[in-house]
Amino acid sequence: MKSFDVAVIGGGVLGCFAARNLMRYRLSVVLIETREDVCMEITRANSAIIYAGYDHHPGSLKASLTVRANSSFDDLSRELDVPFSRCGSLMTAYGEQGLSVLRKKLEQGQKNGIPNLRLISGDEAREIEPMLSSSVRYALYAPSTGTVNPWKLGIAAFENARANGCEILLNSPVVSLEKEGGQYRIETADKEIFSKAIINCAGRSAVNIQDMLFPPSVRIRLDGADFYVFDSRSSHPGLILFEETENGKGITAVPCTEGNLLLDSPPRPYAAEYATTSEGLSVIRKEASKLMPSLDFHNVIRSFGGIRVNPETSDGKDIRDFCIQRPEKTFWSLIGVKTPGLTCANELGTLLASDCASVLEAQQNPNFLPERKAIHCSADSPIICQCENIRKAEVQAAILRGAVTFDGIKHRTGCGMGTCQGSRCRYEIEHLLKEKERSHEGTI
Amino acid sequence: MKEQYDVLIIGGGAAGISAAKTLWLSGCRSIAIIEHKPSLGGILLQCAHTGFGAGLDGRDYAETLLMDFPKDIPCFCSTTVIRLFPDRSALLSNGHIIRFRLLILATGCREIPFGSLPVTGTRPSGAFTAGQMQEMINCHHYLPEGPAVILGSGDIGLIMAWQLLELGLKVTVVEKESHMTGLPVNRARLTGRDICFLPGTTILEIKGMPSLSGVTLSDGRFIPCRLLLSAVGLLPQRELLEGRKIPDWILPAGNCSHIHSRIESVIKEGASTAVKVLSLLDRAPSI
Repeated sequence: MKSFDVAVIGGGVLGCFAARNLMRYRLSVVLIETREDVCMEITRANSAIIYAGYDHHPGSLKASLTVRANSSFDDLSRELDVPFSRCGSLMTAYGEQGLSVLRKKLEQGQKNGIPNLRLISGDEAREIEPMLSSSVRYALYAPSTGTVNPWKLGIAAFENARANGCEILLNSPVVSLEKEGGQYRIETADKEIFSKAIINCAGRSAVNIQDMLFPPSVRIRLDGADFYVFDSRSSHPGLILFEETENGKGITAVPCTEGNLLLDSPPRPYAAEYATTSEGLSVIRKEASKLMPSLDFHNVIRSFGGIRVNPETSDGKDIRDFCIQRPEKTFWSLIGVKTPGLTCANELGTLLASDCASVLEAQQNPNFLPERKAIHCSADSPIICQCENIRKAEVQAAILRGAVTFDGIKHRTGCGMGTCQGSRCRYEIEHLLKEKERSHEGTI
Repeated sequence: MKEQYDVLIIGGGAAGISAAKTLWLSGCRSIAIIEHKPSLGGILLQCAHTGFGAGLDGRDYAETLLMDFPKDIPCFCSTTVIRLFPDRSALLSNGHIIRFRLLILATGCREIPFGSLPVTGTRPSGAFTAGQMQEMINCHHYLPEGPAVILGSGDIGLIMAWQLLELGLKVTVVEKESHMTGLPVNRARLTGRDICFLPGTTILEIKGMPSLSGVTLSDGRFIPCRLLLSAVGLLPQRELLEGRKIPDWILPAGNCSHIHSRIESVIKEGASTAVKVLSLLDRAPSI
């Protein structure tokens, strides 16, 4: 049995940032994750965008956190040594209906205090992005929009939390939750943990976790999106494109920090676990060809499905703002955090950590180190991933830092994300993982 | 490492070996090979099937190719070329820059990745490209579990069908054409073997998460499987050109030039490219 001040349940990008920011205080913290690694569920499939903040109502938590997060993202990415590109974005419209949406977003954005937001003509938009089709008539230009590597961001927060003393429990699904002697008793598959406070960032399971202790108050509805990834060597737009169609939201095109173009579909009904749907993929093809006629789909190297969680009231009404539940003074739940959750992960973590610290009357931790360094390695190590020129020593460093699967290596180094999709490096990497596993067994 | 050569050869497979030998025999001494794997031989080293030369398997065939390989040709193995520059130089993974007058690009080909196919569904473990599985089995002694489905009945698909049968797996081959498309020698290897061949269909959807449970075909059938190999085609590997047109100082050879179906023609092209390089060398600017 172990006792902590705070237990963070869920090691996605939100849980990792909650844990990281809790370490700013004199608190003992444990991060509990079901899977063998962090950032393996909802964080795994997202559109990597750092939003400007014009999508949300002035005065909403989403608006204020997004704007704040966006303006401080250069600092955050430097602090955590994570690839971030402030590439800007164009929200495009083909006609008057789209224009009215753009106008509304412009007005909202101005009220939210977003810098340099401009409504421009199709011709001006094509000057900024020559791949845009001539049928684009208007665009909302937001130079502050950016893109980050989402896995590297979440993993950096995780490593930073760990380096500052956060205890980590992986492979630990929470099976029961009780109140016992003024504390929470958390039972995982093989452990029993006590904590004074709980921050519940369990993603899809967040409602189930909360309902273990409290009467049901909210619920989540799942939907999904499909994604296409293009070869980093193919020609693609230089900034993020949000397509607004006459029927509402269209596709999104993101030139990722690693050089790949990512296209994602509008939300569609939930499919099986991370499965793609032919409907979603054909919408992307159709809309992308309309938006960028010169885009060549022969350069697609991967498609995948993502899951989004939508918070609802118990009688089925959409909750539009971030849904932070606090069923009692020492229990916080982030329910159904979707867009702009990645953008606001550090802000949400900061918010929850400061609330939690004030309830537990914790002082600032003078020893907190906000910096974390990415994996860098010397040039004498051989290349293991020929597509992205990633070296063996980088893979070995990722293993030392906690990668236990090929996906874990992929998220930390980029191995397997290139043209061949891991067909040339996968076996060697699996071999390195097994070697590590064996040497670990040896030490026990 | 000497920093400049008349001819640099990138890739130590059959084409690169053949080009190097031809250059050496013609008296050209200022040459070097860069190979990203630990030894020369290229893709031959992962071929356990026979049919090379006088009925050898790929590894034995590579050995015969290397038997009379001049020992004085510098071979930089476990070394990757990261970038080529227009001033006729190459940046290597060890940080060195090599200058050269002419370049033979013998980087071979790569498989079309599964992810680029219009197949929906999950992305479970258990799906590989055929060449990837060939390397895993023959170079790393991996033992796959069946039943297996192979998409594509070209040469690599048929060779892998044979290998999986040899390992005792149940094998289904799915082919969109009405017949097997590989060479007769590769079809003949399967004659009389217990293999399920499904022509005129393709895979529409993958099922199972986190492990593969099966595939749905375009005719609606569901084929349960635990291993899925894609053998849908090869592409010349020319990433070093970064999408540019091939300049006159780079000469592609072997599968990097175009996809060959026989090793003999790869070797022949390696040699003929070397002859061409020799004729260009007089006119090529000095370093």
